[in-house]
Amino acid sequence: MTWLDGLLRRRRIYDDLADEIRAHLDEKADELMARGMSPRDAREAARRAFGNVTNIQERGRDVWQWPTIESILLDIRYALVQMRRAPALSATVVLTLALGIAATTTVFSWARAVLLDPLPGAGAPSQVYALETTTASGTWTPTSWLDYRDFRRYLKSFDGLAAAYPTSLALGNDAGSERAWGELVSANFFDVLQVRPVLGGLFPSNSDDAEGAQPVAVISYALWQRRWQGDPHIVGRTVEINRSPFTIVGVTPPAFHGSMPGEQTDLWVPAGMLGRIVPTGGWWLNDRGTRTFRVLGRLKAGVSFPAARDEVDRFTAFMAKVNGGPSTGMRGLLMPVWQSHWGMQDALRAPIVVLLAACGLVLIIVCANAANLLLARAVSRRRELWLRLALGAPRRRLVRQLLTEASILAITGSALGLAATVWLARSLRTLVPPFAARALLPPHVDGAVLAFTAILAACVTLLAGVAPALHGSREARGDALSDGARNTAGSVHATRIRGALVTAEMALAIVALVGAGLFLDSVRNTRGVSPGFEPDHVAMASVSLTLAGYDSARGDSFLRDVAARVRRQPGVSDASYTDYVPLSVGSGSWEELRVEGYAPQPGESMKLARAAIGPDYFSTMGIPLVDGRDFTAGDDSAHTAVMIVNQAFVRHFLAGRTALGVRVHGWGRWFTIVGVAQDSKTYRLTESPTPYFYVPVRQVYRPEYGYTFVARTAGSVDQTVRAIGQAVRAVDPAVSVFDAMPLTAYIQGPLLSEQIAARFLAILAAVSALLAAIGLYGVISYAVAQRTKEIGVRVALGAARGDVMRVVAGEARTHLILGLVLGLGAALAMSRLVSSMLYSVGSGSAGVFAGAAVGMVAIAMAAIAVPARRAMRVDPLVALRAE
Amino acid sequence: MPDAKPRDLFPGALEMMVLRLLKQRPMHGYALVQRIQQASNNLLQVEEGSLYPALQRLLKDGLVDAEWGVSATNRRVRVYRITRAGAKHLGQEMSSFERMLDGINLVLALGGET
Repeated sequence: MTWLDGLLRRRRIYDDLADEIRAHLDEKADELMARGMSPRDAREAARRAFGNVTNIQERGRDVWQWPTIESILLDIRYALVQMRRAPALSATVVLTLALGIAATTTVFSWARAVLLDPLPGAGAPSQVYALETTTASGTWTPTSWLDYRDFRRYLKSFDGLAAAYPTSLALGNDAGSERAWGELVSANFFDVLQVRPVLGGLFPSNSDDAEGAQPVAVISYALWQRRWQGDPHIVGRTVEINRSPFTIVGVTPPAFHGSMPGEQTDLWVPAGMLGRIVPTGGWWLNDRGTRTFRVLGRLKAGVSFPAARDEVDRFTAFMAKVNGGPSTGMRGLLMPVWQSHWGMQDALRAPIVVLLAACGLVLIIVCANAANLLLARAVSRRRELWLRLALGAPRRRLVRQLLTEASILAITGSALGLAATVWLARSLRTLVPPFAARALLPPHVDGAVLAFTAILAACVTLLAGVAPALHGSREARGDALSDGARNTAGSVHATRIRGALVTAEMALAIVALVGAGLFLDSVRNTRGVSPGFEPDHVAMASVSLTLAGYDSARGDSFLRDVAARVRRQPGVSDASYTDYVPLSVGSGSWEELRVEGYAPQPGESMKLARAAIGPDYFSTMGIPLVDGRDFTAGDDSAHTAVMIVNQAFVRHFLAGRTALGVRVHGWGRWFTIVGVAQDSKTYRLTESPTPYFYVPVRQVYRPEYGYTFVARTAGSVDQTVRAIGQAVRAVDPAVSVFDAMPLTAYIQGPLLSEQIAARFLAILAAVSALLAAIGLYGVISYAVAQRTKEIGVRVALGAARGDVMRVVAGEARTHLILGLVLGLGAALAMSRLVSSMLYSVGSGSAGVFAGAAVGMVAIAMAAIAVPARRAMRVDPLVALRAE
Repeated sequence: MPDAKPRDLFPGALEMMVLRLLKQRPMHGYALVQRIQQASNNLLQVEEGSLYPALQRLLKDGLVDAEWGVSATNRRVRVYRITRAGAKHLGQEMSSFERMLDGINLVLALGGET
């Protein structure tokens, strides 16, 4: 019913009441008149007998109104008194709730920043979707500029489609350059995302796309503040980007961070300026095979997502057929931005979802525990509740009172939890590798997070408060008159509910323990995998030569000079460089190959991942060459193009043939295989051996992704890391160094989020187990207290301590066994659900299950030890006298 | 205690009586007041008006229905009728009330024992 309906209905009720009272007075007066009273006296008498008409009308109306503020305040005051009366219980409930809510809200704030609100600052973001394409083999790729132009021209479902190519940039000149994150975007980028400038303008929509269009840039609010201290005359000023002057035309609003979810972009440049930003990359815009752009589209009003998705699917299939060549087998898919494969959210999605589920689990355990404690309290307050009921409080009022108490505990817990969240939310950066954390947008507590916490608090109140409230009022209703009412039906009922809650807590704790165990196992298994190279004793540091505006000749000599300087450092045995460091978080580059004598299967992708490397790369990385030779400085553009392939390449393409001397076509010419390297991991430790190949930098200079120097040392790795930086500065002080660290630290990147998530899971599981123990302790203590007399009798009759122990353990046994069975069953179902996220855990999982069960039993034993000791010390005389 | 002053009712008593009377037959407010006074031999003092908030409570809880109609004396009156939920509620209230009464009686019957 709407608010208006309610109002009208109430109006009717009030009118009826007034009419009815008037009719009553008339009838009474008529009757009195019939007995001979004068009309005036009769009316007077009728009113007297009736009482205060206004007051009664008001009381009648009150029935239909919400409880008054006064009565709610009274409830709250009373609840606070109750809290103070049981400080230990209240503190336990509040603190455990705070813990559960802080954990859940924190992970939610991450999910919000990375997944739920991927485009903050954009207008009507729910209408914006990501359009991504795959290669024939199903690998997700970005989109080429030409494909994007066709999408924009022919797709009918969209108001607009924008393209963006994220890249790192150097701001400023030789004297003071700063590394920044930028996006090369279509000119309609801000229109499609509906972003309005806070200062100046954005790109005029016609400035687009004609190559070298206009050297203009839009800067982010954060960059404006950071670099120009919010200078109000910024528009029209010039900034050097990769040593090329651009005019600043506008500033975006503070909320807008660009098109990459969870990441901060500093500035935007029209895509037409690509040739100016990446000197060797201008041709990308005219090559359908070079897929570098992210595409975002805003749906037309009235077009549904499935309809648009179908259109994209049909149109990309058509393009694949018409364009052929590099587009063969291409598919296009429209998806919500949070599902996009580019950006931080892709790596964080799985850990965040797992953690959110785990936090939810813990929160449920926390609620069960709170319900358990409150139930115990309700039982002990039986007489007080009965008294209030006997004094005329309606049962509903009592339920409200008990719910108010639960909600105050929940609200206090939520407030504490929220305060912790404000501080914890930023810890998202612990989930990403340190070198990626710089661009990461810190999640913050916004309206949605507050609303989420409020909903949690309400759910917690219901989960933790309803059973005790209903039970408490029901209990009070019936039989609590007598003092010895310990074993009345009501408290048996409470004991049963509490037993069920403890069983559930233990079952859920086992699920949490097994989950944490599986993920920890998976991480351990992954770490145990050999990467196929030897990362120990290797230092690395990266440079971006496009930032310095190098061409290929200068780039080549720069790389060789720096490597030579590093090689001269004491302790350094080998030094080299590559444009792709294995096990990087991002993907590397690939090239479409033709292998002499190999006929591709229909639909087989011949796009192969590769690295362009310097001489001595294999000895530096510790990758054995199993056949042929390494690259040398002589493998330059004047000599035969050469290639080194890995073993998987040989197995797949050259089965049974000698690899050396085989010719492979790529980059428009033929390369000759001169060496075979042992298989090593490229993207993930968990991947199976995949065909891979290496080419010399001197023959394939592709500076867009930057280069990384690697050096193997017998001495200190940290010192060598610094030495690389010094060598770079010595050769060209304008080139800035980034990602300078030991290789072992760098290749932990892809593992890091899983590792931290697993650790976080372990903490949550420990908390769950602890809560289950608290619950069990409470229930068993209560049972022992209840059975003091019985135990006393047994002891008096000569029962040994062991017998007493058996009585107590018997109480716990049922809960424990049931909890174990249910928990292990649920954990089994859960492990199926997450098995795709685990690495080679199958064999170890029995151990994890057994470990969780044993752990739970041990925790349960510890929990019942205290009440059991108390039971064994029962003095029969005291126990019997107590009755 | 200075004698014969009629006693106030405890909370819920009026509702219980209303339901009991409506169980016999549907009635309008005025008739209900008359019946209560008549049936209790005027031992119970019910302020006539206090019936109406009670009726509103019963209406809200769905224990009675109300409908405008015409009375035997040809007046436009609002006639109340007990619902199924009302009848059930009445049964529960009566038994719990009786138990309470028994309890009180037992205590009162102790008389000068102590």
